[in-house]
Amino acid sequence: MAHITLPEGFPGISSLMAYRPETAKPLNELAHALLHLPSTLTPGERELIATYVSSLNDCYYCQNIHGAIAAHHLHGNEKLVLEVKQNYLAAAISDKLKALLAIAGKVWKGGKQVTREDIERARERGASDLEIHDTVLIAAAFCMYNRYVDGLATWQPRNQDFYRSRGAVVGEKGHVNLKREPVAVSDVPENDAAAR
Amino acid sequence: MKPMFLPEVEANPKPSFQADTIRMLQAKGEEYPQILHLFAYQPEATAHLTRFTRELMRGAAPLTEGFRELIAARTSAGNHCLF
Repeated sequence: MAHITLPEGFPGISSLMAYRPETAKPLNELAHALLHLPSTLTPGERELIATYVSSLNDCYYCQNIHGAIAAHHLHGNEKLVLEVKQNYLAAAISDKLKALLAIAGKVWKGGKQVTREDIERARERGASDLEIHDTVLIAAAFCMYNRYVDGLATWQPRNQDFYRSRGAVVGEKGHVNLKREPVAVSDVPENDAAAR
Repeated sequence: MKPMFLPEVEANPKPSFQADTIRMLQAKGEEYPQILHLFAYQPEATAHLTRFTRELMRGAAPLTEGFRELIAARTSAGNHCLF
């Protein structure tokens, strides 16, 4: 049960987007620019950063939808997404991405936690200033999105098939111009209501 | 002013009102908040943040602009962000 009355059948942030379209538009455009538009980091890498920060924030909807989008970009490799969430240092990802995830983890703790050493380590592993910049902005933006989604206690279905199919659509189209229609609640059971 | 972590960000403001503000304050020899460099570096992304902030803080809403700024100031204080 959300803390305020939101349109029914819209999971996670989409309920808030439907409720307040004026603020939704720039938020979607920001996510699109950060995660989907061309960059030297692949969309899969950027979605992994978003997923990792969302898992640190314990945001069920965000870590599952962005994990599903990441998996879509990574040829369905859900195992890799799980590895990044559980222990990215042991995951089969580049040393550069590991250094960027370390910076993202520091941003999650607080901006002042990021040290010059963290930045130098990422640079030594081949990260450009633009990639470091985008990593910090993705991490900071997802701390905002995560708190927005959980701070109003939005409905977050537990059915993984919902995230897989939605993740494939967003992975293809990006985060703007998406058709947002209510999902029939019976189609997306909340398997684990106690975990809310 | 201390240099930023990312010199490329500081050295490459793209055309934007933030870049104009930086130049104006630099010409006067004044200190300025380096958030301006963040917003001038990648306006393709950060212009959306500017629009978001304008809507949230200045758009039509039942909370007054002053009260909204108090919420922002209180949160920034909680985050120990001086600016």
